[in-house]
Amino acid sequence: MKALRQIATLIRKDIGLQFRSKETLALIFVFSILVVLIFAFAFGPNFPLEKSERGKLTASVLWAAFVFAGIITLNRSFVIERTHGALHGIRLTGVDASNVYLSKVISNLVFLLLLEIVITPIALQFFDLFDDITVVVLLKLVGVMSIGTLGFCAVGVLLAGMSTSTDGGESLLSVILLPLVIPIIMGGTKCTVSILVTGGLENRFWLGLLIGSSLVFLASAYLLADAVIEE
Amino acid sequence: MRLSASQISKHFGHRAIVKNANLTINSGEVVVIFGPNGAGKTTFIKILATLLRPTSGELDIEGIDGITDYAKVRHKLGVIIHDHLAYPTLSAFENLKFFGQMSGIEYLETRCESLLNEVGLQRFVHEPLHIFSRGMTQRFMIARALLHNPSILLLDEPFSGLDAAAKQFVQKRIAQERENGKGILITTHNTELGHLVGTRFLFMINGDLEEIAEKEEISEEDLLQRYEERIIDTA
Repeated sequence: MKALRQIATLIRKDIGLQFRSKETLALIFVFSILVVLIFAFAFGPNFPLEKSERGKLTASVLWAAFVFAGIITLNRSFVIERTHGALHGIRLTGVDASNVYLSKVISNLVFLLLLEIVITPIALQFFDLFDDITVVVLLKLVGVMSIGTLGFCAVGVLLAGMSTSTDGGESLLSVILLPLVIPIIMGGTKCTVSILVTGGLENRFWLGLLIGSSLVFLASAYLLADAVIEE
Repeated sequence: MRLSASQISKHFGHRAIVKNANLTINSGEVVVIFGPNGAGKTTFIKILATLLRPTSGELDIEGIDGITDYAKVRHKLGVIIHDHLAYPTLSAFENLKFFGQMSGIEYLETRCESLLNEVGLQRFVHEPLHIFSRGMTQRFMIARALLHNPSILLLDEPFSGLDAAAKQFVQKRIAQERENGKGILITTHNTELGHLVGTRFLFMINGDLEEIAEKEEISEEDLLQRYEERIIDTA
């Protein structure tokens, strides 16, 4: 109960701080919309006639936007903790480092899902796919993106915790995080393409890779959280 | 005995910042460590606060190993270091409330309000910390350190950057907490204030911690003279 209360307090604080300054939210929304617009201008105004091509384009644009917006979110969420030693303040309350880790994963997941919920329909509209999407397809998309974002945040929070304690941590995070999340990006992109083109998941291998790598990242990062947050 | 540190060393690379330091803090005692900038005082206090792992040595906090069981001893510690240990965009009240919730303090809102009143911040309860002056921040830090009623206070340079009124306030508060039976450690390079609030004095120079005297054994002038001589000797 105590752990749950602490995690809930930490999540509430993270979300409250982000919505109060709106700095990170504004940054990631503007960045993601720009990515969609740049691709839309580059490939438009006449998009490929084949739905499969449009599906591939939309999936790649969405995942590129989410991955880089995710890096911004992860960095910001730890910079807030490190700047005035607030993380030391949290540690001094005696909270388990793994609870701090879980709360960071959940609050970053919430931000990125919020971003995905807003950006995905915009991208679908820009790339002429919006009319083909049913509620069922949309739910499948949300499912795949949620799993992918969870895996991304699971490993990203751990690495952001490490990188923000060093000089030049912001650029360091991109360098160390991107190679690690390749299985998630591959699985997520392939599943998204499949859902956008066929309305379902034709090749279960990519879904397996997405779920498997997300769970492995979450479990291993949870076990390593103490070493990262306490050192 | 509240806290006992034995043979504590801390190395950053090949550089020894703290060298085999031994220290005990008893109930109702104010231990003052004097030392110039860069002597290793902040590193040592961070080790005692379990925020930094020593390279070697042992730390016992009220019978619990502070190095391996750090999570179990942290609620016994009230800490002031150079960082705010708080969120500058949250108000003084919101910060205290958040850290109080994390510590599981009962009657939290009343506790936060009364503490902020006690430290003289009643007019700034709902103002964000980033607008606070150095003195106001220090007052907030004292409230934050006392929030969970710890038995040991570790105060790194509690007088630095304060005006006369704020210094007097901190001094009175330290005396009050000492009377309440807390074990208190202060680091400072101000021998006048250190002698005034302390009951036992040590020097830390170039990472070496040296026991000097109990308060009744040494006058403020002698303390200052010995301190200056030690600094010149090691320069």
